[in-house]
Amino acid sequence: MSSLTTKSALTGPPARRSSKIRKSGPEKLFDVCNYTLFTLIGLTTLLPFVNLLAKSLSSEEAVVSGIVGLLPVGFQFGTYRFVLQDAAFLDALGTSVTLTLIGTACSLLLTTLTAYPLSKPRLAGRKWLLLLFIFTMLFSGGLIPTYLLMHNLHLVNTLPVLFLPAMVNVFNMLVIKNYFEGIPDSLEESAKLDGAGNIRILYAIYLPLSLPVLATIALFFAVYFWNDYFNAMIYISNPGLKPLQLFLKELLASSSDFLRNATMDPDQAMNTAPQSIQAASVLLATIPILLVYPFLQKYFVKGVLVGSVKE
Amino acid sequence: MVKKLSVLLLGALLATAVSACGGNDSNNEAGSSSSSGGKGDKPELRMLMQYSRFDPNQDYSAKAVSTLTGYPIKFDMLPAENADEKLNLLVINKEPYDLMKLSAPQFYNLASTGALEPLDDRIEQFGGNIKTAISEKSWESAKIDGKIYGIPETGSGVAVSEELVVRQDWLDELGLKMPTNTDELYTVLKTIKEKKNVIPLTGSKEAVSSLLGDIAAAFGVTTDWVDQNGTLVHQIETPQMKDFLAYMNKLYAEGLLDVELPLNTAAKVMEKFANGQAAMFKLAWYNAPNAINALMANEPNAKVSLVPYLKDKTGKATVFAASGTTWYAVVPKYAKHKDDAVKLLDAKLQPDVFKELAIGKEGVHHEVKDGKYYPILPKFNDDLSNASVLMTGVDETHYPDYWAARVRKDPTLQAYFENMQKNAEGLIVTDPIALAPPIPEVAKNKLNLLQLQVDWMVNFISGTEPLTNYDAFVNEWKEQGGDEMTKGANDWYKSAKS
Repeated sequence: MSSLTTKSALTGPPARRSSKIRKSGPEKLFDVCNYTLFTLIGLTTLLPFVNLLAKSLSSEEAVVSGIVGLLPVGFQFGTYRFVLQDAAFLDALGTSVTLTLIGTACSLLLTTLTAYPLSKPRLAGRKWLLLLFIFTMLFSGGLIPTYLLMHNLHLVNTLPVLFLPAMVNVFNMLVIKNYFEGIPDSLEESAKLDGAGNIRILYAIYLPLSLPVLATIALFFAVYFWNDYFNAMIYISNPGLKPLQLFLKELLASSSDFLRNATMDPDQAMNTAPQSIQAASVLLATIPILLVYPFLQKYFVKGVLVGSVKE
Repeated sequence: MVKKLSVLLLGALLATAVSACGGNDSNNEAGSSSSSGGKGDKPELRMLMQYSRFDPNQDYSAKAVSTLTGYPIKFDMLPAENADEKLNLLVINKEPYDLMKLSAPQFYNLASTGALEPLDDRIEQFGGNIKTAISEKSWESAKIDGKIYGIPETGSGVAVSEELVVRQDWLDELGLKMPTNTDELYTVLKTIKEKKNVIPLTGSKEAVSSLLGDIAAAFGVTTDWVDQNGTLVHQIETPQMKDFLAYMNKLYAEGLLDVELPLNTAAKVMEKFANGQAAMFKLAWYNAPNAINALMANEPNAKVSLVPYLKDKTGKATVFAASGTTWYAVVPKYAKHKDDAVKLLDAKLQPDVFKELAIGKEGVHHEVKDGKYYPILPKFNDDLSNASVLMTGVDETHYPDYWAARVRKDPTLQAYFENMQKNAEGLIVTDPIALAPPIPEVAKNKLNLLQLQVDWMVNFISGTEPLTNYDAFVNEWKEQGGDEMTKGANDWYKSAKS
């Protein structure tokens, strides 16, 4: 879904659409077949979710026997009650929600504020500044030096370490910059004639016109912060500060390890999460970020710019 | 690739960082400023734990440790994956921990780079309870060059964790007797295959232990190392291993062993048994409630029996049991409260305190029936699920008794656990190097070589590689570190005997 919508955002303000041509009978039939076929193929992507849902609602016996397909066997709801009462899960959920909200808001703000001046050719040294930004996109200090840096900044084992280093994403910044560049200069000039300053122009002209790209980038950031487990794995050792994805990863990884190594600590083997609980945790961790999509959908409107300027 | 590189880099950094007792200690002050918040002479200690599925800072057992010893403790945890890399990062940066719980390879790695504090003097001074709790044999595993670098934790003393199980109802139906050796096993499997048309025996490549064990033991393949005239030889270099593989290959070729063996996951194996597709597999007692309950839900008339450990040609059965030290409680060299750390370890092993940490309060968490400890549910599970994860060294005489309460929380679990131990009684063999201190050549190569061994074993069993190529496997094994490992094991073995 996002790839379709981002495409229009990446290429700047969309061009005017060609008007519709009436179709003949066989062409219509072809369309119907196409739509049906591709809809069905598209729907197969839902199968893993349906299977997961069925597992999470089935009795553990049925899941262990491998007889759960698309419908629950031995229906129960206890897994969800268990997961939603699990302090570790709720802690992780809280961390992830906070991280995603703060992270997305801050990143979007900083990235936009960086992109705007860089989109103006009159900015002195623009070329060099851009090169510097792109340099950081290609080269970085690597894992260990970065860890040492975070350690010396006293950020290790704190929440900010998970979003501060990611605040300006150069790739996303370039996307926004390109979009800004696609907005006609005449709009800026007209605002200037009315006495608007730079901040006012950005806020009153550019941002409202750039909602599609901003929504897309916000989604990028939100998904990034929601899905990130790697940084947490490296920087966070306090079990109360782990975000949801790390919690999940460890939940799933540890249970498969214990099955594999009979010589593992038998106590940990006994405490392994049942498969139905794992399924319920995965679903509960995925749903919140899925809910973001419909809310952003309305900003992916095409053609806001159409007709604003005559050239 | 990137991961491997980073591990290498970490190793190098670790070596330099530790030897160059860095001047960046001042940075650590801020991290543990809360230590003054502790009461009086008992400062707050920071402890690093292995990954586990709970937050120790909110756990009943963890709080009990603080209440009973008087030390407030703040816990951190290693991740479930890449734990070694993370540990190295933390140590390089002198993350201010006073205590850490390490696995054997981690212990050796840190001790040999000089990151750990030798504890002999402090144990002498503060460790009265530690000294009574831990046996001379276990201490050996924690010594490097004669100095003690950690408190060894031998765990629950659990010996055997797996045994073959069979569908007794099918044996009865077909008039078959319980097999006692590999020839009888062959007949039983063949009859099941002909009459029931199910997979007679299933197994997986994921579980090393499902390839080795009962059947292998009947061929004389049990321990990793075998003493041949005073020299240690690895199991793969013994003729017994070849016999075993030939037998398994025969089973596989005749369809008596699951054809999907090279693909099966451990969960898949359990699944096949639980839904009646397979007649036999190797069950770990801690998986018993899952597997057996699932089977009963699918086939209420099913009956399951443990297959007594198979006898070899001479009529003797043997069972390999892992033993030795699983965890080490250590104090990093740069720790701020070294004395207090050892005092805490000692206080946890004070007999009454230790008992309460292990099984809680009598009448609240556990009760005593015929001299055995039984858990009181659900209180026991609510409060003490993670108690053994929080151990740092155990009272080796009493802990196995206390620990047994943990398997008595479920009748199926208890039955399978107790029966497996009963079947294994008197048959157990342990590895000749089980109680050795970490041997660097072994620690370095063991896991890689085990993976190599499992891959080749599966190929031989499934017939992808003919057994005539066995020497090629042995050569590859030797080249990839087998020779080095054999030499390291033998060096220790000979020095220990002399």
